[in-house]
Amino acid sequence: MGKKVEELPQLKQFREWFEKRHEYAKEWKRKNGGKVVGYYCTYCPEEILYAAGVLPVRILGSHEPESITRPYLHDMYCPFCHDTLAQGLQGRYDYLDGVTLAQSCLHMRQSYFSFVDRVPNIQWSYYMPFPHGVNNPHAAPYLRSELEKFKSAVEEWTGTTITNKELDGAIEVYNKNRQLMKEVFELRKSDNPPITGLHAMEMVVSSQIVDKKDHNEVLEALLEELKDAEVEREAGTRLILIGSEDDDRSFLELVEYGINYPATFVYEECCTGARYFWDEVRPNEDRLMALAERYVYRIPCPAKDWATGELIRRRFQHIERVIKDYNVQGAIITQMKFCDPHELDIPALRDLFDKHDVKHLTLELDITQPVGQFRTRVEAFLEALGEEDLFF
Amino acid sequence: MEVKVRPLECWNDFKKYRERYYKNYLEAKDKGGIRWAGSAWAFDAIPHGLGEDVYPLTGEPYGATCAFFHDFSRQCLETIERRGVARDLCGYMRNYWGSIAQNKYLLPDGTTVEPFPKPDFNFTIHICCTHAKWYHYAAELEGGVPTYAVDISVGPGYLLDDKRINYVVKQLNDAISWMEKITGREYDDELLIKAVYAEADSMSTWARICKLNQAKPAPLEEKSMFSLYVLNLINRSDPEVAKLYHKLYDEVESRVKRGIGALTYEQFRFLTDNPPPWAFLKVYRYLEKEYGAVSLGAIYTFGLAGGWLGMDEKGEKWIWEPAPTPEEAGVEITNREEALRWTAEYNLRYRASWQHEYSHWIRKLETYQMIKDWNADAIIMHINRGCELWNLSTLEVRDYLVKNNIPVATYEGNMADPRDFDEARTFNVIDSFMQSMGIERISEK
Amino acid sequence: MIVAGIDVGSKYTKVVLLNENKEIIGTSNVRTGIDHQKTVEEALDEALKAAGISRDDINKFVATGFGKISVPFADSELTQVVAAGKGAYFVWPKVKTVIEVGAEESRAVKVDENGNIKDFALADKCAAGTGSFVDAMVRYLEVPLEEFGRMSLDAKGEVPMNAQCVIFAESEVVSLLHDNVPKPEISRAIHDAIADRVASIARRVGIEDDVVVIGGLANDVGFVDSLKRELGTEVYVPDKIAPELIPALGAALSGL
Repeated sequence: MGKKVEELPQLKQFREWFEKRHEYAKEWKRKNGGKVVGYYCTYCPEEILYAAGVLPVRILGSHEPESITRPYLHDMYCPFCHDTLAQGLQGRYDYLDGVTLAQSCLHMRQSYFSFVDRVPNIQWSYYMPFPHGVNNPHAAPYLRSELEKFKSAVEEWTGTTITNKELDGAIEVYNKNRQLMKEVFELRKSDNPPITGLHAMEMVVSSQIVDKKDHNEVLEALLEELKDAEVEREAGTRLILIGSEDDDRSFLELVEYGINYPATFVYEECCTGARYFWDEVRPNEDRLMALAERYVYRIPCPAKDWATGELIRRRFQHIERVIKDYNVQGAIITQMKFCDPHELDIPALRDLFDKHDVKHLTLELDITQPVGQFRTRVEAFLEALGEEDLFF
Repeated sequence: MEVKVRPLECWNDFKKYRERYYKNYLEAKDKGGIRWAGSAWAFDAIPHGLGEDVYPLTGEPYGATCAFFHDFSRQCLETIERRGVARDLCGYMRNYWGSIAQNKYLLPDGTTVEPFPKPDFNFTIHICCTHAKWYHYAAELEGGVPTYAVDISVGPGYLLDDKRINYVVKQLNDAISWMEKITGREYDDELLIKAVYAEADSMSTWARICKLNQAKPAPLEEKSMFSLYVLNLINRSDPEVAKLYHKLYDEVESRVKRGIGALTYEQFRFLTDNPPPWAFLKVYRYLEKEYGAVSLGAIYTFGLAGGWLGMDEKGEKWIWEPAPTPEEAGVEITNREEALRWTAEYNLRYRASWQHEYSHWIRKLETYQMIKDWNADAIIMHINRGCELWNLSTLEVRDYLVKNNIPVATYEGNMADPRDFDEARTFNVIDSFMQSMGIERISEK
Repeated sequence: MIVAGIDVGSKYTKVVLLNENKEIIGTSNVRTGIDHQKTVEEALDEALKAAGISRDDINKFVATGFGKISVPFADSELTQVVAAGKGAYFVWPKVKTVIEVGAEESRAVKVDENGNIKDFALADKCAAGTGSFVDAMVRYLEVPLEEFGRMSLDAKGEVPMNAQCVIFAESEVVSLLHDNVPKPEISRAIHDAIADRVASIARRVGIEDDVVVIGGLANDVGFVDSLKRELGTEVYVPDKIAPELIPALGAALSGL
């Protein structure tokens, strides 16, 4: 019998990176002497930055109440965009040399603009008009032309030349990271998934904020350990988490560790989950085209998933596959307060879950979570699901 | 002293056009015509190529009309919210969906008919987070309507290049093939060319009309402008719309030459910001009557329906001058490719309200320049909870203006959800603002 | 000459009587009843009694507050924003940022060195930054209002309140009580939450020293302490006159 899952040093490493993200980045800078660029939104073609020797780190919030953003960003915008801007204004990202956004939702865009304007240490910024219409055939060729410009801008700023060699090096590291995390997710298909949603979140988010070479090493070791690790907890109800930036530990801890009815997230369809890494870059003579196709055709964010001729949502097609493959019993839809793209999908998403006989619960997230209220709702949800099993 | 608003002679022409428009959409199928629905910003010249009997219904003006009729709006909102639609989503969209869900079609006079006329196809664009998805969900509510949305978010107009323009042109080309397939009609490039010329004419002429409001006294006040600009939001590529704007231009220019203002007494000039709270346009009349304050316009009123030169090449200055028509630009449009390229570039480059979503800086410049060019004393900004695109950058702009010694007031509301507006608070803001600047009430004079 | 400044608030109606030397000769603070006009008369009578004068001695009436329409005999009206600015500047000439927290609304007013209003911000739909929030919380904690503020200063640690909305906050307080979190810590958490909301409004006009707090909640030492920490700057509560009377004072000053 191997080690207990909760004691695996690799999971502890992910947690440490998650909690001490700024210390990691500062240490990386000190050791490598390279530049660190913050990115908003996972549509950012990180490989191009990485190929130039830059460490891309995702800008995320800290889940603490704040008032510092309110003169610049109205209350009607989502908690995430306030939280991220607050980190910048409070000086927590004082080590960033640059910041970039691959165009996505309006809320993030607004936060990014204020971040660029008001965080004093930002020397370089780049706004990429990434296509929103990811379901139309011209999006990838268009993106390719934008990636060309982005690459030139990065080269000019860093004083480097990014050839196919550098791109291949970056793509290899990134693809490996994706493959390894997919392998970890594969293990969660089992009746007794070895890791929880909380572990998965810390694994994925730490990938977004550290050098993926370091992350890959830990992933490989983790996969080795998981082969015979001891799973102490009862899996209980198998849940899928649907959402966006679901990196608030208090919520995941509540659902998986804080309620009398056992439950485990077996899959996270969100950008601190599978949407970040699920799709790899496929080989192509034209490396920029390869990247363009990967980023356009990855599981779409709801902000970009809409009809161009056909009434399909690619994201829903993926969710349907996951329901089957991961034997999902229940869904918790976490909706970031005021997030329009998600809100727009939710009625149709609920219909989809009903169609597949998957019970669902929708919760609204804020910068911090009303744990008391959530406990009541989640308990009732899990209890109801459990009762159905009892009488089936 | 009583401040009155002077009526315009061509007011009724505009009113009649709008009434006919909504009736035409309703009755389109009676004579075998085509009905299509989409955003007011959709490339409406494109469907014109399908024939002379093609009738659009644009969503935002329809949503605004719903909001104007409070009770109907409430019914729409409550109906659609019962289906799980969130309350903070775009108010226009929720009114539109609610209308479909109730199967009721609202006419401009407030009467409703059943059923809601189902479009043959939806043709729209995507600029805000909900835009294309609006029609995707609407199509599903209607049991499946073919839907095509064009992605236009290629960056600000002054940074356009061939690749960015071509991305949009390719989609428009695809859309034409798709429309032919859906409707079974053969596309007529001549009709497209005619529509594209009319579109530029309508939008550039509206811009010229807006520019006339720089005069003192202002010949137009914003509440009336809302009823005038709307034709460019329902069918700008119709040559008849362009003609009406020329007629309006002549009348407004005549007012300027004769020194006639929209208000019988003007003591204060201000701009606004954002779509107004459609259910509470009384705010404008209050300012006129109580303070002799004329609302000159806004980026919204000018930029939504007008074509403007916009940012200079270096991105340092905003230029509020009307955009050129093809004739003025020395461009001759002779075939489909040229027509698509012209309409794509004209909209991407010259639509003022598409520029400011790419940086705070652009919106700051747009607003500041407008205040200067239109000789405004202040700006009263509507913090519009109903539209996340329009409210983008609002507080940063406010901060910028205050730092540049421009008096600014803000009030919170919702363009299309009448429940989200606090009348007492809003009037308190207005009174506080005016009093803080020492502007006396007309009744106290 | 004597001017009466009457501030008809949603919860309390305040009167300040001022003579031509700008001396305060009488004040009152009365609970606003259903009949606002009756309350106004009561408040006026009380202030007159305190000043030892009669109604006929008053040369001018200036009304302010949400219910100013209930003063039909007012010679002029002043908006709350201007009243707050004027009143605060009078008692604290070095003020640049005035923060007023009343029962139903908070506001921030920026004044220049001459006491002119440069900018203002009003709270948008939210009770979590007002006196009403405090009333609700005090009910749950079952402590007298006067003790509630002082209790907050005794807190040994911080317990962040997660809910950003007063409705959620009420049930969160219940949860905290059930978890046996000590009342001082809960009181501090509540005050921090209110200060957070109020600071959001204040930041919109920009925080510039001196920052002065007026209105009923300025009497709450716990709130003032939380606000200081949130803004990261000293916050002054004028003591020349009770802070909740300052807008009425501003109204009276405008009548001179």
